[in-house]
Amino acid sequence: MSSTPINGRDHAELAAEYALGLLEGTDLERAVELARTDLAFRSAVDRWTGHFAPLFDTVSPVEPPARTFKAIERQLVGPEAGYANDNAVGLRQQLNRWRILAGGSTALAASLAMLLILRPPGEIAPPTTVAGPPMVAMIEGGQGAARLVATWSERDRSLTVVPATVPAANAGHAHELWMIPADGKPRSMGVMPDGPMHATVEPAVAEMLAEGVVLAVSLEPAGGSPTGAPTGPVLASGKLQRA
Amino acid sequence: MPLNPAYRSLFSARTAFPSCSPAGMSMDMDRTPSATQELTPLLRSIASGDRSALSALYERTSAKLYGVVLRLLPNEPDAEEVLQEVYVSVWRNAGRFDEQRASPITWLCVMARNRAIDRLRRRQLPTAPLEDASDVPDDDPSALDRIEAQQDSGRLRTCLDELDERPRAMIEAAFLGGSTYTELAEREGVPLGTMKSWIRRSLLRLKGCLER
Repeated sequence: MSSTPINGRDHAELAAEYALGLLEGTDLERAVELARTDLAFRSAVDRWTGHFAPLFDTVSPVEPPARTFKAIERQLVGPEAGYANDNAVGLRQQLNRWRILAGGSTALAASLAMLLILRPPGEIAPPTTVAGPPMVAMIEGGQGAARLVATWSERDRSLTVVPATVPAANAGHAHELWMIPADGKPRSMGVMPDGPMHATVEPAVAEMLAEGVVLAVSLEPAGGSPTGAPTGPVLASGKLQRA
Repeated sequence: MPLNPAYRSLFSARTAFPSCSPAGMSMDMDRTPSATQELTPLLRSIASGDRSALSALYERTSAKLYGVVLRLLPNEPDAEEVLQEVYVSVWRNAGRFDEQRASPITWLCVMARNRAIDRLRRRQLPTAPLEDASDVPDDDPSALDRIEAQQDSGRLRTCLDELDERPRAMIEAAFLGGSTYTELAEREGVPLGTMKSWIRRSLLRLKGCLER
């Protein structure tokens, strides 16, 4: 990444150029990096995107091929031939369990809803049901002194995360647990309660929780990341390994 | 130099339903508050897992979104694939839609554009290491969560009209067509530096006007 100092005026210009899609090469890289790390830059990009959105009015509609919606529906079908919405019941049960663990807090709802998102498209191979010994991840070594131990049992799809040392989040902040599977995209596993966390994981999510998958905890606004991706510093992370 | 005809149609095209700007405030007098009234409950139903609502939303919005995607990806198989991704993403992320921040159709159009741009630029984007938990996933709907509802979208039209015709057309070609600086410079037959300074100057004027 370029270490050239950039002043505020350049940033404002870059944000507009990025929102318009004009950038390539190192300029694009710089903008992507800034959008990741600099809230003011991101807000500027969003403002410009909002400014330009009325341009969509000038786009004429084009009927997509008739087959397209069928193809979309196929991708909504989960590995067990159930639709994502069938998960709503299971999710609610999980939610209740989490609420009990979290002392009745309903603020978890927003981030727990993420679990629904985790179901991968139907084209992913059906889960193999070979359940080995439990896996363990030492989640540590990020900014701050946070240290947690995660235990993952494929057999009953149960995930337990026990904090060993976790500095309390300030008011207005929360610790959010993420998993980063082989595709490199962080998926929220919900906001951490104050004590140990236990959850039964969706089959589709369970499929992704393999050896080598990274679990990480980030600092987020109360209620969890508003964006679905980690927005704050990573407090600790660690890989799942066979116990 | 004559205006590239590829750009000229941008502002003459009639707006077709549904408009991609906030309800009742579209640039082209196509006031469609009913679109927002219809689409918002559909998105809510989708968020609660109602598949018939997705089908209804698709029926009402797919032609518009396909139009948006095709502008960026003229190759139809690519465009069709991206359109599929958009609705799969809508199915998963409908719960994030916030009507305080954007109209449903703006939210959908931005999502479609982001997906299509992502496809266009994928090879140019840096790849982050697997362990980098702060990596923004490529289907990151975060940008969508933060689009501020524009109080006056007519303002953009007014402000764009204050620009010269060519830079104005190029700004539109970049946003809707995904043209980069290099592509615009080539198409217009001007040096890259010239193109950059044209557009930067126009953006500065646009900003001044929009914030007036």
